[in-house]
Amino acid sequence: MATRVNPEFIDDLDRFGAEDVKMCYQCGDCSTVCPHADEIFKFPRKSMRLLQMGLESKIETTLEPWLCYYCGQCSEQCPREADPGETMMSLRRWLISRYDFTGIARLFFRSRIAEIAAIIIIALITGAFLLYYGFTGGNIGIYDGEGAFLPSGFIHRFDLTVGGILLIFLVINAFRMWNFTMLKNTSLKVPWWLYITEIWQFPWHFFTQKRYAECEQKHEHPVYMPWLLHLGLMLGYVTMLVLVMVFVEALQSGPEIIWEVHIFGYLASAGLLAGTIYFIRNRLRKNYIQYKKSHGTDWVFVILLTIIVLTGIAQHVLHRTGVYEWANYLYVIHLMAVVPWLLRMPFCKWSHLLYRPLAMYFAAIRREAVRRQETILNNYPVFVK
Amino acid sequence: MEELRTGVYVCMCGTNIAKVVDVEAIAEFARTVPGVALAKTYKYMCSNPGQEMIVQDIREHKLNRIVVAACSPNMHERTFRSALRIAGLNQYLLEMANIREQCSWVHADTKGATEKAKALVYAAICRVKFHEELESVSVNMCPNVLIIGGGIAGMTAALELADAGNQVYLVEKNDHLGGNLARVDLTAPYLYSARDLLTERITRVMEHKKIKVFLNSTLRELKGFIGNFTASVSGVNGTGDKTAKPEVVEIGNVIVCTGYKEFDASRVVHYGYGKLPNVITSFELEKMIREGNIRTKEGKIPKYVAIIHCVGSRSQEFHSYCSRVCCMTALKYAHEIKSANPGCYISDIYIDMHAFGKGHEDFYRRSSEAKTLFLMYEKDDRPVIHKAEPKDNCEMLIEVNEKLSGEHIEIPADLVVLMVGMEAREDSHEIARLVNISQDNEGWFIESHPKLEPVATTTDGVFIAGTCVAPKDIPDTVAQARAAAARILARIAKEKIEVDALFSEVNENLCSGCRLCNTLCPFSAIEFDEIKKQSHIISALCKGCGVCVAACPSAAIKGRHFTDLQVLSQLEGLLAV
Repeated sequence: MATRVNPEFIDDLDRFGAEDVKMCYQCGDCSTVCPHADEIFKFPRKSMRLLQMGLESKIETTLEPWLCYYCGQCSEQCPREADPGETMMSLRRWLISRYDFTGIARLFFRSRIAEIAAIIIIALITGAFLLYYGFTGGNIGIYDGEGAFLPSGFIHRFDLTVGGILLIFLVINAFRMWNFTMLKNTSLKVPWWLYITEIWQFPWHFFTQKRYAECEQKHEHPVYMPWLLHLGLMLGYVTMLVLVMVFVEALQSGPEIIWEVHIFGYLASAGLLAGTIYFIRNRLRKNYIQYKKSHGTDWVFVILLTIIVLTGIAQHVLHRTGVYEWANYLYVIHLMAVVPWLLRMPFCKWSHLLYRPLAMYFAAIRREAVRRQETILNNYPVFVK
Repeated sequence: MEELRTGVYVCMCGTNIAKVVDVEAIAEFARTVPGVALAKTYKYMCSNPGQEMIVQDIREHKLNRIVVAACSPNMHERTFRSALRIAGLNQYLLEMANIREQCSWVHADTKGATEKAKALVYAAICRVKFHEELESVSVNMCPNVLIIGGGIAGMTAALELADAGNQVYLVEKNDHLGGNLARVDLTAPYLYSARDLLTERITRVMEHKKIKVFLNSTLRELKGFIGNFTASVSGVNGTGDKTAKPEVVEIGNVIVCTGYKEFDASRVVHYGYGKLPNVITSFELEKMIREGNIRTKEGKIPKYVAIIHCVGSRSQEFHSYCSRVCCMTALKYAHEIKSANPGCYISDIYIDMHAFGKGHEDFYRRSSEAKTLFLMYEKDDRPVIHKAEPKDNCEMLIEVNEKLSGEHIEIPADLVVLMVGMEAREDSHEIARLVNISQDNEGWFIESHPKLEPVATTTDGVFIAGTCVAPKDIPDTVAQARAAAARILARIAKEKIEVDALFSEVNENLCSGCRLCNTLCPFSAIEFDEIKKQSHIISALCKGCGVCVAACPSAAIKGRHFTDLQVLSQLEGLLAV
């Protein structure tokens, strides 16, 4: 059965950032230089070809874009300036919008105005709700305990509600991803128990990002720096998420410092701050190839994160120093950024936090399935072949 | 007969000869042969000191025959002949023994090779004994030129020759000049207008005092030989003034620039040309572009246009050659269609992208920038075009195994453009017969040397240029036309033309007038004298091939420089050692 070419797809991907893919003439230099491309997962060349031809039904079944960590070697080697690294990035954006069933991700990637408007609206609703709640039941001068402006029990319930919404979206999207990449991809028969034997791949790649460390980022010194900062940013984010969802009541209490909880908060803040500063600096300087092209959503991401980190630190410091009224106001601003940030997650690049380790897990299953198939074929008696 | 004094010169050719053949032994052997006055070896006999040595020896030792044992006579016979001339000896008193190509290059065994070289040298010594002093003849060169075909090649050559003051007769079969280029809108890769290229040429040709244009006309007959042809030109049947009797013109040279015709796309059944209304050829698209109206048969602006390369070219079934211009023309269409309908999507379905010429690679790059979708197919795995269903939102679907992705795909198309290749004109064999030139198995005219003589033919005075020789683009065609004109101008400037003394002669006392030789001669060099009832060889046309010599039942024909005596003594010499 022939797959239908969609010549208009390349125009659509323009909006996701793949504007140079048209230049590709399939020499394959990019796949040669990529430390992650192998016999089973051939990229970026093959991915670029599928994109040029607009074979959407094939692209949505591919895991390849998630196996790329964007070191930029391919884009540096490309003789036609087709920017394979940015193309893989754009394909990830497109896949995120494909896994998302609401169409919101697609809207955000294609329209910066829509994204910013949505963030502002959610922020304003959050702010209005928190101020209304605070002023009706609490005292702006009290940060914690009896009569607090935003009592920690309420914040905990609030966080869990937002987290629950986030989780629903993520679980649905993850199932869609599984459906596209594993169920719809009928080229390979995957034994069900491989899902169990390979399950360790998910936490392993989630917490170590080992493959990013294997990228040969030749121009960066030291070479493991991008990996380290990326890891720091990610661990900081996850730690913060756990603190906010589980330990927010301990976190918010004070003014004395509860070291066994707060130390995690400080470390996470440091990781987030270092990562954010590093990425903003590189995006402004455009010093490495992977930072040369910043999609609108990339800027929204770093700016929002900066606001969250700075207001989070400030309200914490103000609380400890006894300036409760300002601590409360800053806490509201902090949450006005945190809520849209969290709700935005399934619809933006940040969702790769989930998709990438999932893809590593699925890829490992597929690799193992291919290996088993080959072994079986090779060991069959000749007359059966 | 004067005393025979032969000089034998054995060349080492650096180490080319000397490393296998014992050259000293050969010189030693030559000295023992009766009639040999001296025998010498030298590192490079063709070098200036080598030639000077021969000249000096001829003068000092009163040598009257020279044998040079070196490379092929094709390589250096001219060189040594000129040495003889300088020394005051008739140049035909030279014989070469080829001990390089026929000996040192093909043998490894020194002993055997040296024996063989001795035999070759001895044969040459035996032959040169009977060499005769021959003189070249010269004939008048008529400065008028006949050009067949009024395309860009014919007009360019005509202007080049006429501007130098020579009378040119330009014969064109159609009722207008311009040829195939007149059917084209823009040209690749710089997108110059073909009309602009042609208009200036056509006006100048029509108004030129020295150019006489015969429209609706063809060549009927060409008689004579280089410098002295007579051509008769008459109107094509059905057009022009067919009752008029042929016009006869005197000319010295002919240039054939009859061009090409396009491949008949209906021969490739996969593409449904002639059956599917929106499958058109490149020339049909040119017409649409020239009219400024690219539309489907239903009158809609096509959203998806597919261009298929190599229609009739590069296939074992039709033509194995590449037509050279289609790749860039296809890219040109992509640009033209996009600029006419910016919302249009172009798929370019090709085998290989041949972007070899100046500016071509850059043009290819710009086509990528304009988002042309390039899809590659395997040579013998042609795309197949189907009519689409109403739900497909397009006119046709093209199914193809895309080579770069390995995917089996179908491409939507509202208009399919077939890049038809070039082929030899159906009447090219007629021209070939009239002007006595050869064709290859595809029908293209054959040049006398594919690299060193690209516009000359085996018939002296007849030149070929442009796409009647092989597919080529406009710059190459124009270059060939000017090259042919330059070759003719050089000959006209000399006023006379030297003819090699190696031609055959009929001994009138022996000729019985059987006319066997007349039909055998591959160069039409033998005419029959109706009054004397005897055959006569036109020395200017004769190439000295020897067919008539061998065929003559009365042994009345003598091949000069290849007499029976010379050839037999060479054979005897070869077998004697």
